[in-house]
Amino acid sequence: MSKMKGHISNIIQPVFAIFVGLAVGTIAILLAGESVFLTYREMWEGAFGSLYFLSNTLERSIPIILAGLGVAFAFRAGFFNLGAEGQLVMGAVTTAIVTVYLPFQGFLNLVISIGAGMLIAGLLSFFAGWMEQKFQINLLISTLLLNYIAVLFAGYLVSEPFRDTTSSGGVAHSVMVEDASKLPKLLTGMNVHYGFVLAIIITILLAFIIKRTTFGYEVRMLGQNMFFAQYGGINRKKVMFISMLISGMLAGLAGSVEVMGMHYRFIEGALTTPQFAWTGLMAALLANSNPVGTAIIAIFLAALDTGALGVERNTDVPNAISDIIQAVLILFISAKFTMAFIKSKRKRGAK
Amino acid sequence: MLELRGITKKYGEFTANDQIDFSLVKQEIHAIVGENGAGKTTLMRMLYGMEEPTSGDIFVHDKKRKIQSPNDAIGLGIGMVHQHFMLFPSFTIAENVVFHHEPRKKWRYDRKKANQEVEQLAKKFGMEINPNQKISDAPVGVQQRVEILKVLYQGAEIIILDEPTAVLTPLEVKDLLNSLRELVKMGKSIILITHKLNEVMEVADRITVLRDGKVSGSLKKEATDTEELSRLMVGRELQKKQLPKVTSGKAVLDVNQVYVNDSKNKAAVENISVQVHQGEIVGVAGVSGNGQSELIQAITGLVKTSAGKIRINDHDVTNHSVRQIRDRGLSHIPEDRYLWGAAKSASILDNLIMTDYRKSPLAQRGILNKGKIHSYVNNSIKRFDVKASSINTSAQYLSGGNLQKLIAAREIQKDTPLLLAAEPTRGVDIGAMEFIHEQIIEKRNNGDAVLLISSELSEILALSDRVLVMFEGKIVGEFDRENVSEEKLSLLMAGGTYE
Amino acid sequence: MSSLFDLSLIDSTLRMMAPLLLAGLGGAICARVGIFNVGLDGLMLMGAFIGVAANAFTNNIWLSILIAVVGTLIFSLLFGYMVIHLQANMIVTGIAINFLSIGATTFALRTIFDVQGAYYNNEMVGLPTWRIPVIDDIPLLGNLLSGQSPVVYLGILITIAMYIFLKKSVLGSHFDAVGINPVAAKSQGIKIKKIQYQAVIISGILCALGGVQLSLGQVTMFSENMTGGRGFIALVATMLGQSNPIGVFLSSSLFGFTEAISIRFQGLNIPTNFTLMLPYVITILAMFIFKDRTQLNAMKNSQGSSR
Repeated sequence: MSKMKGHISNIIQPVFAIFVGLAVGTIAILLAGESVFLTYREMWEGAFGSLYFLSNTLERSIPIILAGLGVAFAFRAGFFNLGAEGQLVMGAVTTAIVTVYLPFQGFLNLVISIGAGMLIAGLLSFFAGWMEQKFQINLLISTLLLNYIAVLFAGYLVSEPFRDTTSSGGVAHSVMVEDASKLPKLLTGMNVHYGFVLAIIITILLAFIIKRTTFGYEVRMLGQNMFFAQYGGINRKKVMFISMLISGMLAGLAGSVEVMGMHYRFIEGALTTPQFAWTGLMAALLANSNPVGTAIIAIFLAALDTGALGVERNTDVPNAISDIIQAVLILFISAKFTMAFIKSKRKRGAK
Repeated sequence: MLELRGITKKYGEFTANDQIDFSLVKQEIHAIVGENGAGKTTLMRMLYGMEEPTSGDIFVHDKKRKIQSPNDAIGLGIGMVHQHFMLFPSFTIAENVVFHHEPRKKWRYDRKKANQEVEQLAKKFGMEINPNQKISDAPVGVQQRVEILKVLYQGAEIIILDEPTAVLTPLEVKDLLNSLRELVKMGKSIILITHKLNEVMEVADRITVLRDGKVSGSLKKEATDTEELSRLMVGRELQKKQLPKVTSGKAVLDVNQVYVNDSKNKAAVENISVQVHQGEIVGVAGVSGNGQSELIQAITGLVKTSAGKIRINDHDVTNHSVRQIRDRGLSHIPEDRYLWGAAKSASILDNLIMTDYRKSPLAQRGILNKGKIHSYVNNSIKRFDVKASSINTSAQYLSGGNLQKLIAAREIQKDTPLLLAAEPTRGVDIGAMEFIHEQIIEKRNNGDAVLLISSELSEILALSDRVLVMFEGKIVGEFDRENVSEEKLSLLMAGGTYE
Repeated sequence: MSSLFDLSLIDSTLRMMAPLLLAGLGGAICARVGIFNVGLDGLMLMGAFIGVAANAFTNNIWLSILIAVVGTLIFSLLFGYMVIHLQANMIVTGIAINFLSIGATTFALRTIFDVQGAYYNNEMVGLPTWRIPVIDDIPLLGNLLSGQSPVVYLGILITIAMYIFLKKSVLGSHFDAVGINPVAAKSQGIKIKKIQYQAVIISGILCALGGVQLSLGQVTMFSENMTGGRGFIALVATMLGQSNPIGVFLSSSLFGFTEAISIRFQGLNIPTNFTLMLPYVITILAMFIFKDRTQLNAMKNSQGSSR
């Protein structure tokens, strides 16, 4: 019975937040002087209107899901990894460079270059964990600062030593990935690629690890009470290092598959402007770091993004509307407001 | 001065206070006694405006009053000394005393005047303090004096003291009781909340006993004694424990000349040697904060020792990891169940499997076995009588006693040769306490070794075959069960010398 | 080398420092009362935008500052309400506030001015530079200290004022008390929420001023996400400065200096990406040296509320 109640309130909270988010979006649309109905219809069309748009939405959700899972995993162990963006970019740029310089092409190239990207990204996150462990450098701040450093460094790599000089002008980018090494599309002519399948498999795998393995148990207990975990014999250092490594690797994978399956090269700003990492972070927070929930919310947030692009194409409402709706969503999820509201109502009802 | 009529407080379905009547006359010390959870603290929180009664009336100076905030209470001349001190460690004593009633020059804080006023006030009531000392540097006894001064500074006529002696050494307790008599002489009235009956008999004029949220007796001191009071508190006679003779065997735990430093790198444990044998309970008595925590953490592997050796069953475990030490056969009831002993937001199931989750049959090759875990957990909570709606409920919804039983279940039912029980019954109800005591004794009778560390003398005396006393990081005395007495222990715990 | 390090470097250091100092002081006052304000960046961005927007309509710099302060203050109250009243996780709320301000300013930029990326018009009036009479006449010092925007001087004045407030006033000691032990403060009849709101409001005002210095002091324009993470640098300045106004002043000077230096380096043959990295690298290095207790406490609070 109490379990049922828990499930219901778990659902009510996000639904309420979505409602408020859309309400605020409505106000924004009205301020922009557009028809609310028309705008939301465009948003729906832009996200799910046709197979093509749906595949765009799913494609966009891939990096968000993976980055979100990375954040979620570290958070489960009690560590706030704000460095997903830098890790994602470092993963992407490493993959883009490695794939071009490997002496062979094909599936092995794909695997190795993605693996290299994950490794570098994982090490970046591990480094922040190491600084916390060894020098008590606050993880929140260090991961955040490393973002700027990583993004600037990646930008340097593709604008100086690894710049694609064959095409002139425009934004700095790396050399194109060979066809044989690309991550194939799921459906021809559509944007969504096999990265989506990978993301879903990893979601399920992560859910299993967290729930059903001893390591997952250690991660959960460390996240819920560090002292209790240590008292029980869990090695905080080890679990922290592993979970930060995995967290960074997942964020790196997000960047790598985006390079190998979508852009086929690293383009400066192409991964940071859409705020994949931050949207992933929101998905993880909204889902309370539950892997399956993170993936579902990531798809929802991706739909808001692609929907907003549709809105921008066809109306005068700028696509920043999706930022606003997302921010309001997270504000209302994080507040204990809704629960308190429900409780107070229940009390009144009982009297 | 003060009268409560028919005060009732409900939290949802639970009735914390039920139709309480109470009165306080001028210049008396009125004690409120009762077990943990009898409703004493709730009652006082209402008097001090931190809670509002569901029904009933409060009269101050014969006028009906509503007390909605601590400010209201202070305005009516009611002051409260909390069980957990309400102090600011980085502020000075004077700053703490005058807090929120600071002498000022316009917007500026007149610290000089504050110091003078506090010094005078302390002198008037015969208390010794240095107004410029930082609270974090002051001993606990002084901190309590600061709390009382604070209330006096605010001009309180009625002073409520909530479990004031819980953290004090026996000598400090004497000082406190003297101060209370002094205060009454100077015209104040005092409500003393406690569960220590000897203190009550020493200092109170009248006594109200609470049990299960109701008044179970209201008596004059002259007309009663500790036996009657404890009967009223508990509702039945307490049985004295008999420890059957067990021939003790070889030493299971051997702590040899161990030193431990605290977080500030000062020696918290100095040259401690303890041996615990099979079939023996060794009690370590002492006021909290005299190095017991550091000793516990060193034995269990949570902190490193700076010198000395620790052996379990002849294996050197000095500075080994927690896991290695546990695998050598240690189980451990931690001193703080919410900090060390459990993850509040985790389920009962997750909390129960902490010590065994890696081992067969609960897990194979790193994968948890759901079915085995469920039957293990269900058996445990049945055997240790943990009352919960489901094993998926999070631990935070368990009462203190139930959670402590859960921890005891986790640690005691394991077949380990050594149990370290730190404050195993702190703040739990009588039922849970008796149950946990029985379990500890049973473990001893099975031939296992138990190291009991407790600041509760009655617990030490009831369970220990041998008693050690810790003071300022050292062992200052050792007694056999036959030769030990409360008086001797008290003296040593307070830093006095014996004989 | 002489072209790298000269007196005008100090001039630009002061200019770069001002936004960090103001936002850092905002973070400090919040940390004092136990609130870990991750939303400084968003508050600054809001101030920068409203300042420019108001300027475009009024063409009056003082009026635009006032409007920016009021607008950002209201926005900071949203953060306060979430964190203080609804006890939302401080970090999550702070991040959401940053998102919201990026979204809202970008949105408004397009709906109000119908531009993308940046807005600028010739009629806008930037912050004036003030020559301070006496100091201006002193040969060396005059070049160094005179001729800054009023917001820079205000920042220095506020540093001193906040120091006096915290150390000498009764209310200042109550601020500290709330941060050190909120339960004790409450039991003594202090209205914790009121004090926390006051701190959040002050931080809103200070961030608005910092944002205005960015958009109307250093330049006279607004571009999307123009704070570029300065709010987070300010947060670090708060930590390095141990939430003490003087400390925040010193640490934000350090960051202002590295920012000024990194602009200098751009003239050399060093890739711009590396010079841009400098402040962040130095911040990380600085964190090895300084550690802050107050901020850690505030952070612990925020962690607590996330569980």
